[in-house]
Amino acid sequence: MDTGRQGPSERRLFLLSMLAGVGALLGAIAVWPLYRYLAPQGGGGTTEQVAIPLSDVPLGAARFFDYHGRPAVLVQVQAGEYVALSAVCTHLGCIVKWVGEKRHFLCPCHGGQFAPTGAVLAGPPPQPLASYRVIVQSGKLLVG
Amino acid sequence: MDRLKTLMDWFDVRLGVREILRSNLQGYLLPRHVNIWYSLGAVLLALFTLQFLSGILLLVYYLPAADKAFVSVERIMNAVPYGWLIRTLHMVGSNIIVAVLLLHLLSVLFMGAYKKPRELTWLSGFGLFNLSLILCLTGYLLPWSQLSFWATTVATDAAGAVPWIGEGLVTFLRGSPSVGAGTLGRFFALHVVAFPLLFLGLVGFHLFCVRRAGISVPPFGPSARPAGVGTTFQHEVHRDGIPFFPNYTVKELAVVMFVLAGLVAITVFAPALFLPPDALEPADPFTTPDHIKPEWYFLWAYQTLKIFPSKLMGLAAQGGAMTLLALLPFLDRGEERRPFHRPLFLTLYGLGILLLLGLSIWGHRS
Amino acid sequence: MKRGVLASLTLLLATVMPLTAAYAESTSASGEAAAAETVCLQCHGGQAGRLGAPVSPWRQSIHAKNGISCHDCHGGDPADFAQAMSPERGFLDVPAAAAIADFCGRCHVGVREDYLASAHGRARERGPHCVTCHGSHTVQAATLELINAKDCSRCHEFGRAGQIKEAVAAVDARILAVERDIAAMHRIGFATRELQDELFNLRNAFHRLFHTVDVNKVRKETEDFSRQLDFLDGKIAALHAELQWRQLVGSGVILLLLAAGVLLLLLRKTYADEERGRKEE
Repeated sequence: MDTGRQGPSERRLFLLSMLAGVGALLGAIAVWPLYRYLAPQGGGGTTEQVAIPLSDVPLGAARFFDYHGRPAVLVQVQAGEYVALSAVCTHLGCIVKWVGEKRHFLCPCHGGQFAPTGAVLAGPPPQPLASYRVIVQSGKLLVG
Repeated sequence: MDRLKTLMDWFDVRLGVREILRSNLQGYLLPRHVNIWYSLGAVLLALFTLQFLSGILLLVYYLPAADKAFVSVERIMNAVPYGWLIRTLHMVGSNIIVAVLLLHLLSVLFMGAYKKPRELTWLSGFGLFNLSLILCLTGYLLPWSQLSFWATTVATDAAGAVPWIGEGLVTFLRGSPSVGAGTLGRFFALHVVAFPLLFLGLVGFHLFCVRRAGISVPPFGPSARPAGVGTTFQHEVHRDGIPFFPNYTVKELAVVMFVLAGLVAITVFAPALFLPPDALEPADPFTTPDHIKPEWYFLWAYQTLKIFPSKLMGLAAQGGAMTLLALLPFLDRGEERRPFHRPLFLTLYGLGILLLLGLSIWGHRS
Repeated sequence: MKRGVLASLTLLLATVMPLTAAYAESTSASGEAAAAETVCLQCHGGQAGRLGAPVSPWRQSIHAKNGISCHDCHGGDPADFAQAMSPERGFLDVPAAAAIADFCGRCHVGVREDYLASAHGRARERGPHCVTCHGSHTVQAATLELINAKDCSRCHEFGRAGQIKEAVAAVDARILAVERDIAAMHRIGFATRELQDELFNLRNAFHRLFHTVDVNKVRKETEDFSRQLDFLDGKIAALHAELQWRQLVGSGVILLLLAAGVLLLLLRKTYADEERGRKEE
């Protein structure tokens, strides 16, 4: 390289482009640990079934639980008939309440109502509550 | 490019940003022969930025409770991806900062840059130096290791030597009769909020002083003369100087890069350099570890206290030395800044460094 | 102005004092501190002859290092001068020869079991007891050196003992090596408690083994210990690999930072050339 002959401004352009390359590389190396450090760990992404003891869900009562990091609810609608739903209202994300005597879910935020099947009965929610598969196995309810 | 210009125009019309940039970057001229020591301020700015960032990141996983702190740090070091990197950088960074602070302080002293009209720059800088040491001390407790616990016990205990109010002062500093959960709470608040805010304000003032008074000319070379400061404010301009940006900033950035390389080198190759074995054991209020020693930058203070027959005298000696240093520009008022025209100062300077080194080595060995 | 200076002085003193005063005194208490206070040591420490003799060897022992004091073996009340050696407070005197294994075996349960089942244990009316090889108050961390021709041949030929020593030597050396590795990893900030616990269990089980003094059993089971050690070695190797990865990427970053520094210095030179040019004009 014969940079000595070139004027300062030509050398500068070359050096600056080199510097930009080195800087970009350093930046990339710095961003990766930062992302990994802040990235959520565990919780989401698991596909394991969640087990709830049968005795926790008597007839007509609801049991709230954590399903892969999100609130969910189990209800025994009729004897031996269990329903598992997402407890997150599809309107603005509040957690629905189980109104035992009326046999429906009520969202305390804007009065949305859901049937035990998850279907919207009244109010602003645009979609039904997501439902999960439930199986009974050796004294436990397996959700998922 | 055009869009950038439009954006600049928008701001320029409202705030006159081009004027600000011109007068502080290209139009801000530094003395032609500023030396490498002038870049230490920029190095410190970069290192402190790194401390702020890594500190904020550590807060994501750190838990400031006596029964959780050690485990949370252990988790950061082992379970959180790249937590070891953030934590080690923060820890090694604090040590490098103290080293660079000392160099900055010594070079300013050597070049007589603290003299009129830069007394306020010196005072705010000296305040920053002390605040940094206090940040080190308060940060030390947070991992709640044996080292944290006992270093804080001994450090706060020293306040007990203050006449009359000593005992009350110790309890107040600790938030309880002995170091415990209460101490962790207040040290945490001080370390992550109170002192950093104070620090930011003081840095702002320090930089304002530097910019407002103008950079001092290095007192070397045949053209160096005593400053001859008048009685009215005068910004020191250097008409034939070099632009701060980009001519000088590239040099500052180069030094920053070399220091960062050193920081990374220690972080990956010698992570235990500033991590004594006691820092790896959880705090146990009923067992004082053997041979507990302060960090290297407190060794001189530790040894001073051992030399004097009473704790109060030791404290007074240290306080006296620090106060003398803080008030130096008000005591040393001659205009001469060339080191070799100030034999008395130079002798004291040399002896002072030797004393500091000697005490530290003595403290380390004893 | 003067008052301002004075105020700043006071402020400075207030901030600097507690800070520079850091670490006023180094307290040199240790794990022994709690033990030192027992009345046992206060009394016996000053006694001459047989009654004072155990104190100083104990201070050098592995028991003292781990905070096991007189009363932990001999019972009694370590806080009460009058009742310290009262049988009602559980004081036990020097055990009879046949009772030594039970005396030590209250803590060293596994070793006791294997020892009692061994030829040594069955012959204990006249045979070797715990203290025959390990000493009593002087007890040190057990090493392979305890099996040696001089001591073993006090009672029998060294032959079989030598064979056992040979059989366990390799595993013993590996245990020591793994211990060092774990300590090195701990030193640089890795959490190694789990590894330490695993090794602790392994070593205990291994120490039990050669108290059976059964050459065939020892030979057979050392293989099993080897496999367990392989497992620990694997975990340590993973930590080493992690460390090497950090250093590799770290080296790359260091080189990049140095390159950036050099490029910036070269860039500085282009400006310096211009500055010189401008001055010459």
